Amino acid sequence: MPILRADHGACQGYANCVAGASDVYDIDDDGVVVLLKERVPEEERQRVEEAARSCPVSALTVEGG
Amino acid sequence: MIDQAGVLGSVRRGMIPAHIYNDEHVFALEKERVFGRAWMFVAHESEIPSAGDYVVRRVLDDSFIVVRDEKGEIHAHFNMCLHRGMQVCRAEMGNASHFRCPYHGWSYRNDGRIVGLPFHQDAYGGEAGFKRKSQRLLRAPRIGSHNGMIFVSLDDEAPSLRDHLGDFVFYLDYYTRQSPSGIEMRGPQRWRVKANWKIGAENFAGDMYHTPQTHTSVVEIGLFREPKAEKRRDGATYWAGNGGGTTYKLPPGGLDERLRYVGYPDEMIARMKGEWSREQCDVIGRDGFMISAASVFPNLSFVHNWPRVEDSDDVVPFISVRQWQPISENETEILSWFAVDAEAPEEFKRLSYKAYLMCFGSTGMFEQDDVENWVSLTNTAAGSMARRLMLNSRMGLLEDGTEVSPALPPERFSGPGIARTGYSEHNQRELLRRWADHMERPLPKAAGVEVGTNGQQAEAGQ
Repeated sequence: MPILRADHGACQGYANCVAGASDVYDIDDDGVVVLLKERVPEEERQRVEEAARSCPVSALTVEGG
Repeated sequence: MIDQAGVLGSVRRGMIPAHIYNDEHVFALEKERVFGRAWMFVAHESEIPSAGDYVVRRVLDDSFIVVRDEKGEIHAHFNMCLHRGMQVCRAEMGNASHFRCPYHGWSYRNDGRIVGLPFHQDAYGGEAGFKRKSQRLLRAPRIGSHNGMIFVSLDDEAPSLRDHLGDFVFYLDYYTRQSPSGIEMRGPQRWRVKANWKIGAENFAGDMYHTPQTHTSVVEIGLFREPKAEKRRDGATYWAGNGGGTTYKLPPGGLDERLRYVGYPDEMIARMKGEWSREQCDVIGRDGFMISAASVFPNLSFVHNWPRVEDSDDVVPFISVRQWQPISENETEILSWFAVDAEAPEEFKRLSYKAYLMCFGSTGMFEQDDVENWVSLTNTAAGSMARRLMLNSRMGLLEDGTEVSPALPPERFSGPGIARTGYSEHNQRELLRRWADHMERPLPKAAGVEVGTNGQQAEAGQ
């Protein structure tokens, strides 16, 4: 099962990930990414990876299999 | 500069200084005083049925994203990024949960709230430098809807949309409420013509007089059986609230026969009877008038006609909603939608769409006939001779103000407002009188909204 990781120090609050997968990523009041889920089912991998890759500062990764 | 008092005084007497149809100073004042306060149609709810659906529409130079948010609520966001003023959404329609500015990457949820503000901490020092919380794209100052038709006004003090429409809502139902589901709209087709915006609005409001002349060829080739001169003369024009329109007098019969005569199938007629009031049914069934074209001040029009679409003698009715969006004093962008009852049978929708495309829209025959006149008129209105000419728009009035054709009594016309049979320019004068009333009143300066300070705090609670 894919595991989601976020580098909160790297995040700059672009929110591209939120636009890509708002059920998984959000931005808190301080402008920093929040993971709404830590794992997603395998069939969600492609969609969530796309959202993670849209991060301009590479703060997001999807690991595991 | 224009002689404002002179021009407006003339217009109110029904004498129209010809240059108002092509005058940059008049247009500058219209931008501020007419379009800066009037309720402007922007979209129909059926164009954005699902969460995230949006269309981008303009009120002259101001672009708005008309969007249904994740909760189903409809907004009209001013399409300008809070940061450097870039247009946030550059597509014309689509579906999006968020809108991201292409310039520096600020992003907004579809309810308008800011979500992404890159390097907020590094660049601004966080909330201490720029209050990100509660910032949102500016809202259209006013938004309202009636029968699914969404309007905005740029005037914070505008009367409610319902008050603006007034008794015209009675007639609006014929176009937009033929069943409990209302209409669905397709389009718009959007194209520009070198004509002043007022001409189309006036024409649709009440010009039954042009039909037998301008549209002769359409009748001659057998596609449209109605606009014979005497038939139009027997029709009534009505004005109610801030809108008015034209009707055709139909042959004898009751409500069912007359709706059948213009091509409605029985199942649609049954739904209309369930939806319309006694008075709305009586205008057609008892009084014998079938609605045709109409305009609502300032620049929204409707048309309902029933041409032949196949080889048989059968006619099929269609409805179009259209907006005369001003580009300049001598150019108008026409937005033309096809509208049809959402519960209509598929075959009816297909034929009705065909009827619409044949008559109106960028290739429609009626459209071509009309626009040739309007472009030519606009051209001629730019010259110096046009500044001497006061067009007589007093049809239906004697010089002393006596009406040629008196208002129909309630027993002959059961709708609200004032209705008269025969040719006249009462409706065109009603429209231009409202234009004069707007042109006369300066618009108070709207309060500014500061971005990133507490300036938007008042909105935060909403």
